[in-house]
Amino acid sequence: MSKKSRFKKWLRQQNEEEFKEEKKEIKKEETIHEVKHRNLLMNIYDKHYKKLLIVSFALLLFAIIVIGIKYAQTGEFFKKSVDIQGGISITLSSDSYIDISKLQNTLSSDFNQNDINIRTLSAAGKQTGIIVDIDIDLNDKENTEKLINAIRKELNLELKQGEYTIAGIGSSLGKSFFKGALLALLVAFIAMSIIVFLSFRVPVPSLAVVLAAFSDIITTLAVVDLIGMRISTAGIAAFLMLIGYSVDTDILLSTRVLKRKEGSVLDKTIDAAKTGLMMSLTAIAAVLIALIFTQSSVLKEIMIIIIIGLLADIIYTWIQNAGILRWYLQRKNV
Amino acid sequence: MSKLKEMLKNVRVWIFIILLVFSIISIHPVINKDGVAIRNVIKESAAAKAGIESPNPRIVPTKREIINSINNQLIKNLQDYDNAVNLLKANQTVRIATNKNTYVLRTIPLTETTILNETEWVNKTFTENNKTYSKLILENKTKTEIIGMQDIGIKVYEKPGSNIRKGLDLQGGTRVLLQPENETPKEDMDFILDNMKQRLNVYGLTDIVVRAASDLPVYLGGTGKDFIIVEIPGVNEEEVKDLLARQGKFEAKVANKTIFKGGNDITYVCRSSDCSGIDPYAGCSQAEGQWFCRFRFSITLSPEAAQKQAEATKDLAILPSETERRYLSEKLQLFLDDELVDELNIGEDLKGQAVTDIEISGSGSGITQQAAIPDSLNNMKSLQTILITGSLPVKLNIVKTDSISPTLGKEFINNSLFIAIIAAIVVVLLILVRYRRFTTAFPVIIIMLSEIVMLLGVAALIGWSLDLAAIAGIIIAIGTGVNDQIIIVDETLKKEKEAVSGFKEKIKRAFFIIMTAYFTMVVAMLPLLFAGAGLLKGFALTTLIGISIGVFITRPAFAVMIEILLKD
Repeated sequence: MSKKSRFKKWLRQQNEEEFKEEKKEIKKEETIHEVKHRNLLMNIYDKHYKKLLIVSFALLLFAIIVIGIKYAQTGEFFKKSVDIQGGISITLSSDSYIDISKLQNTLSSDFNQNDINIRTLSAAGKQTGIIVDIDIDLNDKENTEKLINAIRKELNLELKQGEYTIAGIGSSLGKSFFKGALLALLVAFIAMSIIVFLSFRVPVPSLAVVLAAFSDIITTLAVVDLIGMRISTAGIAAFLMLIGYSVDTDILLSTRVLKRKEGSVLDKTIDAAKTGLMMSLTAIAAVLIALIFTQSSVLKEIMIIIIIGLLADIIYTWIQNAGILRWYLQRKNV
Repeated sequence: MSKLKEMLKNVRVWIFIILLVFSIISIHPVINKDGVAIRNVIKESAAAKAGIESPNPRIVPTKREIINSINNQLIKNLQDYDNAVNLLKANQTVRIATNKNTYVLRTIPLTETTILNETEWVNKTFTENNKTYSKLILENKTKTEIIGMQDIGIKVYEKPGSNIRKGLDLQGGTRVLLQPENETPKEDMDFILDNMKQRLNVYGLTDIVVRAASDLPVYLGGTGKDFIIVEIPGVNEEEVKDLLARQGKFEAKVANKTIFKGGNDITYVCRSSDCSGIDPYAGCSQAEGQWFCRFRFSITLSPEAAQKQAEATKDLAILPSETERRYLSEKLQLFLDDELVDELNIGEDLKGQAVTDIEISGSGSGITQQAAIPDSLNNMKSLQTILITGSLPVKLNIVKTDSISPTLGKEFINNSLFIAIIAAIVVVLLILVRYRRFTTAFPVIIIMLSEIVMLLGVAALIGWSLDLAAIAGIIIAIGTGVNDQIIIVDETLKKEKEAVSGFKEKIKRAFFIIMTAYFTMVVAMLPLLFAGAGLLKGFALTTLIGISIGVFITRPAFAVMIEILLKD
């Protein structure tokens, strides 16, 4: 397209734009009563944003305390799954219902030296199989056989080779992989912060974005601790994704508030929130469907972490980050 | 219609369309699903003798050899194939028609040899120092019976529907992560990889992945160690584990003196049925409720090794014996990875002789005779492999295994497809509810679908296997895509009073948000490419490719579509 025709097109758009503006004036009156309904919530969001900001920080503090307690109790920040701890996990699918607490009891008495964890596999609420995690060495054929025989006996299943899958990892390797994954998380976080600073080039708003992402990760980890979920390497990958997803909405908010010239800070924030909440809503909907229907425990773990993160992100973007931005702009203008 | 024309005037839309078409060509969907594909052909089997070859693993899935009929009976799926093969009998002629050729096979009978209590005199020929002489020997009489048919030796799988390679967790198979015990120089590592591939090929396995991977370097907090990742589809872990973990250091000793080693000392290993297989003289026997079957195969030693053997045996005493056969006082001991696997008696005629042709034997066991025979043959195969390929310079430890059953893999694929469809429908519905117009929802669907197609196209093009991690990556990429589209739509729909804020300005602002978000995602994923011996590489790479396609190809096209569609 030549410059001339581009300019013509642009002119045409401007005309149409103005024409649309007129139409919009009429529409506005119709929507006034709709705004009134939201008055109370909007009022709180508008007038008490500093108090809300404190609430968001209190939530972050609470999350840190939860993780702290977990660490004091177990010496770990979260429950690690077999692929980090070292051990094997046996997955078997079965059409008939398996009572896992009963199986857990039997296996725990047979293997009282070991840490056994049994999970169910389900798709659309229906049990499709189980996963047995145990911290025995992957080259320990004898105990592996013993375990499989015990499961066979307890469940009254034939369980031929190929009907179940065994995955295993040595404990030192698991730890080293875990270290690597944690390092990846740290590097990713720092790199993300640099990108944010380079994009906005203003310290406080950039810091607010980074803080929101940090709070999101910490809160998600606290919720994971509270529900007692175990985290594998895939879970660490999920936290990495969370960095990306969480920063999305924060960047949207900051760009709208800082770069758009027209409108009050509140208006711009609400405008951004309409877009941002829609983004979170579609993401949560898609992830929720994957969570409900997936048969893979790996995907399930990833999806749970992302859903928690997306929900926490709503608070940290639209209350914490938005609050800091408003507070910063007000102080700057005074 | 005029809007469509307007869109087609735009370069970005054209780039989008051309790449989309290119992706579909690269995926190459196959409509006719009839037939079964050859995964590999077992050496020395009836199929191999008829000239059917294992496919080259580099060939793209849709170019694989497909079996269409057996004895003029159409083969549509795996079930048909199994049925047809089960009908075959020993010593039968079979016509197998593939999409490339028609082969005529002769099935090989499976025989069992039992040793009778009667003895007989047989005239045996011996070769020694290039001299041939014959001798009468008293031996047990044997009886050979045909008990069935040997496997025709073709392993098949469902005909590939496209060029997309399925990863291990989607098609079933075993992944093993090996770690060299000591620090290994680069050349040694390359040798190990080559040797490993050869071994697995000898074992009759193709389509295997053997690659080196390393953890993060020490100064970055990793272990800096090298690993070898071996992925074998359609095989369970026990079958591969044994062969792989062994260093494969084969040594034959007499009185603790090494006579020969696997590799260079051995010039030929017989693997054809006339000089390898279940030992007809020793056969199978039962002890303590277990069956033991002995195998034997002949090998040819290098002259140097033969000389060593002559020196080691020349001073040994001959043990007295009541039968015609007399043996030397020391045995030939076979060590595999420093573990004694077998001892062979050395016949008196070998004393001090530099014999190059010798016979190696060993055994296998099982609860029944039917189980003991294949076990014995499997042991023989591993031993032969080790003798052919020589030993590895360093011991390898298995540090991680994953094994996925094929049925579970198939379920995962259907399940993932189902989830993708439902999730896409829900996202589109949400967008319809929010914007209340098809002109917005329509491009969203188009872009969402084409992003998946392009991502799969890239995967097919570079031969990347799709596994569960990659599916997670696709979900992330598509999710980010939808987010960006919402930003573009919202920016475009803004009706601000500011006169300068034209479409360009809005799109510019939308793309500022999108690009910043894109770069944060890229830097978040980059470290994953290197951490954890690259096991999360698939996830990181798919996400990176996906979001890059989005930002550089589909998003610009989407912006143009939305611009044109939304102006009324």
